[in-house]
Amino acid sequence: MKLTIERTALLKSLGHVQSVVERRNTIPILSNVRMEATDRGVSLNATDMDLEIVESVAAQTAVPGSTTAPAHTLYDIVRKLPDGSQVELAYDGGDGQLVLKAGRSRFSLACLPVEDFPAMSAGAFSHTFSLAAAELRGLIDRTRFAISTEETRYYLNGIFLHAADSDGLPVLRAVATDGHRLARAEVPLPEGAKDMPGIIIPRKTVAELRKLIDETGMDVTLALSDQKARFDFDDTRLTSKLIDGTFPDYERVIPTENDKVLEVDCKLFAQAVDRVSAISTEKSRAIKVTVDSGSLTLSASSPDAGSAVEEIEASYDSTAMDIGFNSRYLLDILGQVEGDAVRLTLADAASPTVVRDVADASAVYVLMPMRV
Amino acid sequence: MTDLSPRTNPDLLGHGDVEREILETQASGRVGHAWLISGPRGVGKATLAYRFARHILAGRLDPPEGEGAMGCGLFGAEAAPVRIAPDAGLGMDPEHPVFRRVVAGSHGDLRVIERAVADEKTGRRKTEIVVGDVRDLAHFMGMTPSEGGWRVVIVDEAETMNRNAANALLKVLEEPPGRAMLLLVSHNPARLLPTIRSRCRRLQLGALGDDILEHLIARHLPELGPEDRRSLVALAEGSIGRAIDLAGQGGLDLCREVISMLGALPRLDVTRLHALGDKVARDDQAFSALAELFPWWLARMTRSGALGQAPAQVISGEAEVAARLLGAAPLDRWIEVWEKVGSLFERARAVHLDRKQTVLSAFLAVEQTLGRS
Repeated sequence: MKLTIERTALLKSLGHVQSVVERRNTIPILSNVRMEATDRGVSLNATDMDLEIVESVAAQTAVPGSTTAPAHTLYDIVRKLPDGSQVELAYDGGDGQLVLKAGRSRFSLACLPVEDFPAMSAGAFSHTFSLAAAELRGLIDRTRFAISTEETRYYLNGIFLHAADSDGLPVLRAVATDGHRLARAEVPLPEGAKDMPGIIIPRKTVAELRKLIDETGMDVTLALSDQKARFDFDDTRLTSKLIDGTFPDYERVIPTENDKVLEVDCKLFAQAVDRVSAISTEKSRAIKVTVDSGSLTLSASSPDAGSAVEEIEASYDSTAMDIGFNSRYLLDILGQVEGDAVRLTLADAASPTVVRDVADASAVYVLMPMRV
Repeated sequence: MTDLSPRTNPDLLGHGDVEREILETQASGRVGHAWLISGPRGVGKATLAYRFARHILAGRLDPPEGEGAMGCGLFGAEAAPVRIAPDAGLGMDPEHPVFRRVVAGSHGDLRVIERAVADEKTGRRKTEIVVGDVRDLAHFMGMTPSEGGWRVVIVDEAETMNRNAANALLKVLEEPPGRAMLLLVSHNPARLLPTIRSRCRRLQLGALGDDILEHLIARHLPELGPEDRRSLVALAEGSIGRAIDLAGQGGLDLCREVISMLGALPRLDVTRLHALGDKVARDDQAFSALAELFPWWLARMTRSGALGQAPAQVISGEAEVAARLLGAAPLDRWIEVWEKVGSLFERARAVHLDRKQTVLSAFLAVEQTLGRS
């Protein structure tokens, strides 16, 4: 293998792939990036055995071939090379060393055989469709905070993506929950996604995906099967395993009978919650919300820290009631509301509350109250 | 010496019948989701587990869906009735992609649980499998397979799992996902939780026959002469792992030394005893060989005394020594000595007693027994 490549292009691509590679690896080959040079350029591939990123970059290939080299070391070297330099990568297989030359620098890196590199076979995908990057970002951002971290309920450790029906309109829906809160966001169903299998995208994949979305403005092509999901960006392809489980029937926990409607300015509400929560105990983070006609009072008290009360204006015309929430969960949800006002639909102090963005009907949040 | 670690070893001899049992079960379509492979140490249990794992990972468990599917040839394309070729086994070419990735530890659908390395420098492992080692399994089993087929878990030395680890494994064993296989390897399955045992299909490996063992020793330790080879066969009791360990630790020479010193009883040669003590105090390997061999030899001698049969000759001249010792004291005394020496070495290992002193005490225990009668 022998090729020449522009330093900036290589750095950008290595940056993408090396973020998947764990810093500490007991299996040597997993610290490596697989490089394959063809006439069309070079492809870089890194994996942690749960997900895989393949990046294609333009390069002048003199001799096609492939090898694997330590990802972090390579990234480190390329990062420190002067901007605008041309990098030559050569591997002749003889001594198992990858030689990197740039200007007057010369590096020799230990390689591992390419046959030992994990193969994530994608298999056949049953559904392929495109989605605007902004739409995918919206789906992820509005749900990912609710992903559970509890290992025992592993099927909650991701975002459930599926086709659904929302008041007669077909939608692509993302749902995440940890049992205390639930977030549901949807976009119109893209062409080709009809009858797609419901898939659960693992947390780590969601994080990698989110990073990649930020760097592209183009459409993302999704290819799905019941075992894998593949996301195609411009030059980057992310393939991931899925969570092998059944997502619970979340529709049942979204209340529809809640009749007490509270509308409040989202920004003011969030700031007030944040301030009052300074008093609530580190562990429970509980705050009490008292609603009365036209006003909303937030309060918290803890035996050690003292107490706090703040009142803000709100539109509410039902019976007065007290309800407790975890302030951090409440802030997570309020942080996703982009409109000016937020609408809370309540039933009583022990039932789940529905939170919606007044300006955006495509997202629904459900929050369990706390006893305060 | 070739690398005999089960992960890299492509060969397994002497267990063709067991492999056939696996293939027959597979042909009947009831492979189950968990197998417990038990048998003496060093006969190839883990090697068999890896062979089975590779067999599954290469997709040879399912009848191929169409032509060109990976791993046809074992069964052809037809589903039933399946005939198993007489020489069929679980073998695989070491250059097969699945084999390569299993060796490199980079097969996405294989997890191996074993005692974690406690000390990076010496490679010494922890004494038990702790719950942290097992916990990753839940994540592994909760994800779809990476290469699209089965997910395989090998638990090596399953009996070293502590209670929490065993319970964590049980959790997976109770509700395994589809197309998942757990292979437990244990030389002492009685120490496993009964709830784990009852959920696994048992596969019992026997000791290797002397001819197979001799063949293996000749292959892996070509430097040994025929006489040493035969001694080693007798010493290893059907376990190639033990044979190779003992050979590497200088077990044969140690055994000769011990027997000749026992032969000099009732007068112990104090100079030689001290020399032996010094040797094992310096040399870890020699000590572990001695700790294995000394109690083993006493046990064998006592057993042969109880059965009234002359003990098999490992080292020439051994039978006379054994006969003389047996004649000098009643059997129950020898059982006491065996127990004492065994626990002495065990304690030396566990709490790092002074090694030389341990060896001296062991020989003195034998001498005292002779002296008392």
